[in-house]
Amino acid sequence: MIELRDLTLAVPGRTLVREITATIDAGEFVAVLGPNGAGKTTLLRTMCGIAPVAQGEIVLDGRRLQTLSHAQRARTIAFVTADDAMTGSLRVRDLVAIGRFPYHAWWQWQATERDNAAIEQALDAVHMRDDAQRLFSTLSSGERQRVWIAMGLAQETPVLLLDEPTSHLDVRVAHEILALLRALARRGHTVVCVLHDLNDAATYADRLMLLGCERMLACDRPSQVLVPALIERAYGVAVHRIDTPDGPRVFAASS
Amino acid sequence: MLDDVSGFGGFPFTVARPRRVFTGFRPLEHRGCSQVGRGIPLRQGAFSMTTARFAALASLLTLALLIGVLAGGSAISPGAVLYALLHPRAEGDIATIVWQLRVPRVAIGMVVGASLSVGGALLQGMLRNPLVDPYLTGVSAGAACVIALAILAGVAAPVLPALGFAAGLGTAVLVAALARRGSGIDPTRLILAGISISALFSAIVALAIARANSLDAAQSILAWLAGSMAGHGWTDLRFCIPYLVAGFALALLAVPALDALRIGDLRARAVGLNVDRAQWIILAATSLLAASSVALAGMVGFVGLIVPHVARRIVGSDARRLLPASALLGAALCTVADACARTIVAPSELPIGILLAFIGVPAFLYLYLHSEFAS
Repeated sequence: MIELRDLTLAVPGRTLVREITATIDAGEFVAVLGPNGAGKTTLLRTMCGIAPVAQGEIVLDGRRLQTLSHAQRARTIAFVTADDAMTGSLRVRDLVAIGRFPYHAWWQWQATERDNAAIEQALDAVHMRDDAQRLFSTLSSGERQRVWIAMGLAQETPVLLLDEPTSHLDVRVAHEILALLRALARRGHTVVCVLHDLNDAATYADRLMLLGCERMLACDRPSQVLVPALIERAYGVAVHRIDTPDGPRVFAASS
Repeated sequence: MLDDVSGFGGFPFTVARPRRVFTGFRPLEHRGCSQVGRGIPLRQGAFSMTTARFAALASLLTLALLIGVLAGGSAISPGAVLYALLHPRAEGDIATIVWQLRVPRVAIGMVVGASLSVGGALLQGMLRNPLVDPYLTGVSAGAACVIALAILAGVAAPVLPALGFAAGLGTAVLVAALARRGSGIDPTRLILAGISISALFSAIVALAIARANSLDAAQSILAWLAGSMAGHGWTDLRFCIPYLVAGFALALLAVPALDALRIGDLRARAVGLNVDRAQWIILAATSLLAASSVALAGMVGFVGLIVPHVARRIVGSDARRLLPASALLGAALCTVADACARTIVAPSELPIGILLAFIGVPAFLYLYLHSEFAS
C-alpha cells in the first residue's frame, strides 16, 4: 500500500503539483493521466525515491520512503522507463539480470538460483524467453519496452511504477502490455502507470489519477474521471463521451 | 522471415539475410548455450570460453613479460638472462642489469599499462562515453604543468615523480570539485571541466618550454610529455605501490556499480545503486591509477583509450570480465611497447608514448570506422 500525504512535486524553479493526497492499495492498477509537463513522470520518480520530495511524504506499508536504504527501496519499488541513455551491446538476459542488483552485496558477483528463477520468470512474463540472447540494439521498440518491464519484474517488487510503457507501440503490443500489467495487479502487485491514451487507461486501470492545473484533479474510477468537464479542465480540450460495455470513451470535439 | 520469402519457388531475387558484421571475438553466450545460468552473465556454456579467453590473455602477458626482460640495449643471451632471473642472489654484471634495470622496468611497464587500461575502462563505463581516457580529469595536464615548472626551477630529478603524482591528483580533485552537482557528479560538467583545465595547464607547459633558458630543460620537459620508462626503477615503484593498491581496490569495489551504470544513471538509481557514491569511488580509483602511472612513466597516451575497447571485444562489456581483461591486455601492450622502444633505435630510446600513438591511432581508427561499436 502506498500513501501519498500532501505530496508537493517541484523541479528547480517551478512547482508542478501541490498537495497530492491519495492511497493506492495492493493489487490496484492506477493510471496517471494529465497533459505534458503536469508532473506525471516527476510523480513516478519521486515515488520510487530517485527524485527528491519537495514537501509532504510518501509512506510504503507504514514506512516512510526516505527511511529506506537504496537497496531496500529497490526491493520494494521497481521503476520502468524507456527514457534514459543506454550503452554497450548488452544482451536481453544480461539486461534483465541487472534487475537483480538490489539483492546482491558488492562482493556477491555470482547469480544465485533465486536470481536465475526470477530472471527466467520475468522473461516468460513478457514473452521474451526466446529472445534472451539477442542484443538489445537489435530489438524493436515494443520488444525494448518488454525488456524494461522484464527488468522491473526481475526486481520482484510488490510495487511497479511504469513511465509511458505503451508509447511508440502499435495497438496490439500496447494492449498486450496493458493486459500484462492488469494481470500483474490481479496477482497482487501495485501498478502505477503513466499513460497518455485516456481510453486505454479507462479500459485497463482500476482508477485514474488526473493531474493538471498544478494539482490532482481526480483519483477515482474511470467513469468518474473521464467526465468532459474534468478532461477539459486538465487538457483545455473539449471532449465527447460515449459509454461502451468496456467503460467510458472520450473523443476530442472539433473546436 | 526472410528465409520464408526466399523459399518461394522461382523467386527471382536473392533476399539478403541480415548481414552479420564481423565483430572480432563475439561474446559467446550467443551460441545457443543453455538458458539456465550459474551467474548473472557467466553461464555454463560461456564459462569455459571465458576461461579460455582469460588463459589466452594471461599467456599473452607472460610472453610480453618474457620479451620485456629479454630485450634491451646491452646484448645478453636469453640463457644468461633466464639464469639471472632464476638466481636472484647471483652476483655479477648480468644479474645487476637484469634485476636493477630490466625487471623493474618491465614491472613498471606492466603496472602502467594495467593502471591506465583499468582507469580508462572505469571512466568510459561511468560516463558511458567511449572517447574518454583516464587523463580526462586533468591528471596528466596538471602533472605536466607542475613538472615543467619544477624542471625550470631546477628541482632535482628524483623528486619529480612524487611531484607529478601530487599535482596530477590535485588537478583531479579540482576538476571533480568543479563537476560536482548536489552530492554527485555531472558527467557533462566533468568532461567540460577536465578539458578546460587540461587546456589551461597545457598552455602553461607550452609557455614553460618556450621560455626555458636552456635546451636541456626544454628537452627534459618534452621527455616527460612524450612518456618514457627510462630512468625509473624500484624507488619510484615503491613510492607508487600504496596508491596503486588503493586504486585497484577501489576499482574492484566499483565493479557491480559499473555493471548497473550500463543501463543509464536513472535506471541504475532505480535498481538501488547509490550513483553518487559510485561516481566518487570510480573517480578516485581512476585518479589514483592515472596519477601513479604519470609518476612512473610520464604521459603514456592511448593505452587508456584503446585497451578497454579491445578488451570489450574479447570478453564483452560486463565489468566483472572487462576490468581484469583490460588490466592483462594493457600490461602486455605496455611491456611489449616498452621493449620495442628500447630496442628499435638502440642504444638510444624512443619515447613509449610516441610509439604507442603510432600503434594506437591506426588501431583506434580501425575500431571506430570499421565496427558495429561505431553505432
